[in-house]
Amino acid sequence: MAAVATCGGDAGSAGSAVATASKSNVTSFQRRGPRASGTNDSGPRLVSITGTRPSVRNGQLLVSTGLPALDQLLGGGLAVGTVLLIEEDKYNIYSSLLFKYFLAEGIVNGHTLLVASANEDPANILQELPAPLLDDNCKKEFDEDVYNRKTPESNIKMKIAWRYQLLPKMEIGPVSSSRFGHYYDASKRIPQELIEASKWHGFFLPEKIPSTLKVEPCSLTHGYIKLLQFIQNIIYEEGFDGSNPQKKQKNILRIGIQNLGSPLWGDDICCTENGDSSHSLTKFLYVLRGLLRTSLSVCIITMPTHLIQNKAVIAHITNLSDIVVGLESFIGSERETNPLYKDYHGLIHIRQIPRLNNLVCDESDVKDLGFKLKRKLFTIELYILGLGVNGDKTFFPTTLQSSCKASLKNARAWLFSQT
Amino acid sequence: MTLSEGARAGTRELEMLDSLLALGGLVLLRDSVEWEGRSLLKALVKKSALCGEQVHILGCEVSEEEFREGFDSDINNRLVYHDFFRDPLNWSKTGEALPGGPLGALRAMCNRTDLGPVTIALDSLSWLLLHLPCTILCQTLHTVSHQDSCPPGDGSPVGKVHVLGLLHEELHGRGPMGALSSLAQTEVTLGGTMGQASARILCRRPRQRPTDQTQWFSILPDFSLDLQEGPSIESQPHSDPHIPPVDPTAHLTFNLHLSKKEREARDNLTLPFQFSSEKQEALLRPRPSQATSHIFYEPDAYDDLDQEDPDDDLDI
Repeated sequence: MAAVATCGGDAGSAGSAVATASKSNVTSFQRRGPRASGTNDSGPRLVSITGTRPSVRNGQLLVSTGLPALDQLLGGGLAVGTVLLIEEDKYNIYSSLLFKYFLAEGIVNGHTLLVASANEDPANILQELPAPLLDDNCKKEFDEDVYNRKTPESNIKMKIAWRYQLLPKMEIGPVSSSRFGHYYDASKRIPQELIEASKWHGFFLPEKIPSTLKVEPCSLTHGYIKLLQFIQNIIYEEGFDGSNPQKKQKNILRIGIQNLGSPLWGDDICCTENGDSSHSLTKFLYVLRGLLRTSLSVCIITMPTHLIQNKAVIAHITNLSDIVVGLESFIGSERETNPLYKDYHGLIHIRQIPRLNNLVCDESDVKDLGFKLKRKLFTIELYILGLGVNGDKTFFPTTLQSSCKASLKNARAWLFSQT
Repeated sequence: MTLSEGARAGTRELEMLDSLLALGGLVLLRDSVEWEGRSLLKALVKKSALCGEQVHILGCEVSEEEFREGFDSDINNRLVYHDFFRDPLNWSKTGEALPGGPLGALRAMCNRTDLGPVTIALDSLSWLLLHLPCTILCQTLHTVSHQDSCPPGDGSPVGKVHVLGLLHEELHGRGPMGALSSLAQTEVTLGGTMGQASARILCRRPRQRPTDQTQWFSILPDFSLDLQEGPSIESQPHSDPHIPPVDPTAHLTFNLHLSKKEREARDNLTLPFQFSSEKQEALLRPRPSQATSHIFYEPDAYDDLDQEDPDDDLDI
C-alpha cells in the first residue's frame, strides 16, 4: 500500500516507479544490472509512459488534452490524476468537440479509454472521433489556411530592418511533434483500424440500469453509484492503481464522462433548485477525485452548467474539480452579428487552474480568449480588438506560444508601427 | 383559388409540417395562454396519420371526444387513443386503463415489436411534468425518442419515432423547461402579433449549428395548415437599419487614420536600419577625418599602472 501511497502523493510523477524499485535495494548507489522485470535497458529504470511528459515547472506528469493550444493555456498539459471539467456551451456543439479531441488523443497515444454517457452509445461516440493529422500532411493543410488569410494584407509591406530581411519567416502554423500533442482534422473521421486497435470500455447508462427500477431515495443517485463502481472495477482489474505488480507496461486510463448532471443521469440538479439529490453530484465528484488521485488516470467531464438552477452548486462543483474551462458560444446570442466578434465562434474562459503540490498555480495573464472552429481545425486565439489602418479589422493570428506576454508586446509594436 | 395556387399553398404547407417532422425525436410545442398549441398538435397528428404512420395519443388534459373533434372518420380510425383523462389514477378499476398510468404506457412503447414509423402525441407534456418526477420523464422520453438509433440485432431498419409534446410555458419554471429543451430535437414556440400566429422553429441537428426560423401560419378548421407572409419578413431578425454597426475606431484618444500627405511622408521616410546604397557606401568608404583611431584613457585614482605587467612580454 505504501507504493500506492507514494504514487498518489506524487500524483503519478515519473519518479514513482524508481521509488518503488529502490525500496528493495540496500543503498541507492548500487549498480543496476539487467533486471528480471523484462526491460532490456541497463540504465536507471525511469518508466516513461507513452503520451506523457513531466512538467517543466514541477515535474508533474502531464498528458495532452488533444488540443495543443489548450495544453499551453493549462500550463503544459493535464496533470495525471486530475479532473478537467468543461462547462458546456448552450447547444453542446463545441464542448462535445473538445471531449472527442481528448478521446482521440488517447487512442493515438495508445491509452486505455473509458467512455461514459447517458444519452449516446459510447461506440457511436468513438466512431465520430476526428482523424489525426500526420506530420507530412499537416504542414500543407495549414499553409493553405495561412495563405488564405494573408492575401488581403499583402499590399501593406512591412519595412523590416535590413539585417533581418534575409532571415526566414517565422512559422506561425502549428508544428506537430509526434510525442506530445497531436493535431486533428475535424472534418474527417478517425480510421476504423485505430479504434479497433485501441482498448476501450463503455458505460451507457440505459443499458446498465433497467428503466423500470423503482427509484429509492438515496444520498447518491443510482446512476452515479453504478458509474463509480464501474470506474473502480476497471482501475482495479487493469492495474492502474498499481495493484497488479506484474504489469510491465504502465499505461494511462482516460475517462470521459459526457453530460454529467443532466436529467438523463437521474439527477434533478438541472430541474429544480433544492431537489432531493442536491448533493449527489458533489459527492460523485468527491469520490471520483479520490479514485483518480490514487491511480494513473485522467478524467474529462462535460457538464451543462447553464441548466443548473442553484448557483451555489456551481461554486461547489468548481471547487471539487481541478481544471474548469467554460465555453460560451455566440450562437443565438446578439454577439453573433456584432462585427467585433465576427471572426470568432465563442469565448473560452479558464475558470480555475489547480495548485498541485505547489503554492502557486500557473495562471496565464491572458483572460480574453476566443475560439473558432475552422473547417478542419479548432483554434484558440488571443482575442484582441484589432484596430487596423483604414478602419478594417485585423486580428493577430498568433497561436499561443509559451510566453503570451512576448506575443502581446509584438502585437502592440506592430500596431504602433503602422501609424 | 386556382389549381396552381392551391398546389403551391399545399406544398408550402407540407414544407412547414415536414420540417417539423423531418428530424424525428422529440418535438416540443411550447404554447401559452394567448397562443394555444393544441390545434397545431392536431394538425401534426393529422399529417402523420395521412402519411400512414402509426399514431398513439396519450390524452391527459382533455377528454377523448374533444380531442377527436374535427377529425375525419378515417383519421379517427387510425388513432390509437390512450385515455388518462377520465380516470387518471385508475380508481374505477375497470381494467381498461393501462397499468402504470401514462408512464407505463410510455414505457410500453419503448419495447414495441413492430418497427414501422410511429408518432406519439403527448397531450399534454405539462400534465406529465406536473405529475411525474422530471428526471424519470426525461429518461423515458429519451428512450422512446431514440429507439430508431438503436437498431435491433437483426439489422432491419427501424422507422422513425416522433414524440410530439405539448408544453404550456407558463406552468413551469426555467429548470424543467431548460431540461426538456436540451432534450428536444425540434422546438416550436408559438407566438404572434395582431391576430397572426407565428411559430419560431428551432431545429437542433446533432453536431451542427441549430437553425432558427419563424413562420407565420394559421390553422384551418379541418386542421390543415395555411402558411402566410407575416406582418414582417423575419428570416433575418438581427439587422436593424437604425443602428449602424459598431465601429471600433470611433472614440479613440489617438489618430489611426492617415491623410494622403501624411501617408506619402511616411513612405518617404528612411528608417534608421533600412539598408540603402548610400548607407552601404558610407560603411565601406573609409572616413577621411580620422586616419587612425585614437584611444583616450584617463587613469582613475584606483588604477594600478604596474610597470611590471607580465602582459608586456607578450609579443603580438
